[in-house]
Amino acid sequence: MAGPSVDSASAGVLESLSNDLAGAVERAGQSVVAIHARRRIPASGIHWRPGVVAAAHHTIQRDEDITVTIADGTTLPASLVGRDPTTDLAVLRIDGITAPVARLADASGVRVGALVLALGRPGPAVTASLGVISAVGGEWRTWHGGTIDRFVRLDISIYDGFSGGPLVDAAGRVLGIDTSGLSRGAALAIPASTVNRVADQLLATGRIARGYLGLGMQPIRLPESLVERLRLPNDLGLMVVSAEPGSPGDRAGVLIGDILVAVGDTPVTDPSELLAMLGPDEIGKAISVRLVRGGQPTTISITIGERPQPQRSSRRGR
Amino acid sequence: MITDPLAHALAELAGDLRRNTVEVRTGGAGVGSGVIWTADGIVITNAHVARSDRATLVLWDGRTLSGQVTARDRRRDLAAIAVTGGGPIDGLCPATIGHPSTLRTGDLVIALGNPLGITGALALGVVHALEPGDAGRPRWIRADIRLAPGNSGGPLADARGRVVGVNTMIAGGLGIAVPVTTVARFLGEAGFGRDATGWRAA
Repeated sequence: MAGPSVDSASAGVLESLSNDLAGAVERAGQSVVAIHARRRIPASGIHWRPGVVAAAHHTIQRDEDITVTIADGTTLPASLVGRDPTTDLAVLRIDGITAPVARLADASGVRVGALVLALGRPGPAVTASLGVISAVGGEWRTWHGGTIDRFVRLDISIYDGFSGGPLVDAAGRVLGIDTSGLSRGAALAIPASTVNRVADQLLATGRIARGYLGLGMQPIRLPESLVERLRLPNDLGLMVVSAEPGSPGDRAGVLIGDILVAVGDTPVTDPSELLAMLGPDEIGKAISVRLVRGGQPTTISITIGERPQPQRSSRRGR
Repeated sequence: MITDPLAHALAELAGDLRRNTVEVRTGGAGVGSGVIWTADGIVITNAHVARSDRATLVLWDGRTLSGQVTARDRRRDLAAIAVTGGGPIDGLCPATIGHPSTLRTGDLVIALGNPLGITGALALGVVHALEPGDAGRPRWIRADIRLAPGNSGGPLADARGRVVGVNTMIAGGLGIAVPVTTVARFLGEAGFGRDATGWRAA
């Protein structure tokens, strides 16, 4: 495999890669800020749009008295525009920020095997780790019901203070935001498209509206005789195990022990399927819920409410 | 095809650095690593590796030499070992010493050593942070690199194979290396001449 030209070609290849990586850190690092919004060490954020910094929600532990330190060492006051615990994103506004805005990479750069750097500023200087994108998948839903455009798992060390910092390619272009707060501490990246979408909503309304029924549900398998007798679409349903008092589900008369089998004509067999029907545009609309109560089929109309804003999260993460 | 020259360059660099690295054994205290600093047999390691005054040094080719600890600085966690015998010392391959002040965050770094007793193991990473010290010299080199006990005392080198630090600690998952500038000062204060403390071919 090693032809005669390989030796000369390979002589500087490591040095050239090293220069590329250090150059990427230097360029992209200009947009990385330290956020002082918790005890212990600062968190990282990235100057996403002029005057707007994106960060990881779980690292912003207070809503007031937030400051950021930019690359040149200047510390500026910041105001929290809003946070979305479901995608672990928060957006800050900083007036008079002089640091350059992040240069985004094309989404096609997010592919398995891509050499990437995670950058953070958990202090005055930008710091780095090197790794690869280890897995890429389609749209997924977080534990807290947020939608992330693509699943991007990283083989990279997310050190203390790195969550909220950018994932960059070897040219210093930003692919997304790193967080260890979405998956039991595993290193994931939130793609730039999701950051844009969440930032748009937070900047427009200060919050991420989400549909809400106030019901806790658990998938169960229904007896065959019942499925046949009621001519149900399939043998799986969602048993209501809790109903928040005063919630849309409670007010519509849903009882603990009811088994949801369909919304309109769409069968529901998993709570995530129901969550997917509760997007922000659905708030205020009525849905027709087919359920089984005491062995008898019933249909109830529920008007989708807006989910109360979750409190600050105490999830672990870096 | 681009990975081919990369793998080739890395293998070559690892081979060279392995010749600059020794295994350091001091009576029952486990195994550490050391860097061959001069052709006449000065080896640098950590003070916490060279606990006793005598040491056994194993070269990359399996040759075993005996050494005497001639200087030790617990504060900097450095020790110098002089080869005293056990075999001919000709053919020792001293490391090329680099300048840590030229390092930037994100630069590739390579470590050679004996993590958990595995001889001559290579690790690849990047500079995570350069902790500022006096006069622009870094106090510590923090590297995003996977090290283990047994790497202590071994070389951290740049992408050209020039040794820039001596791997000393693991903290918060990061490899922490004492910069070679600190080693030079240690050797100077211990009375070694310019030949030992200075930079060759770097």
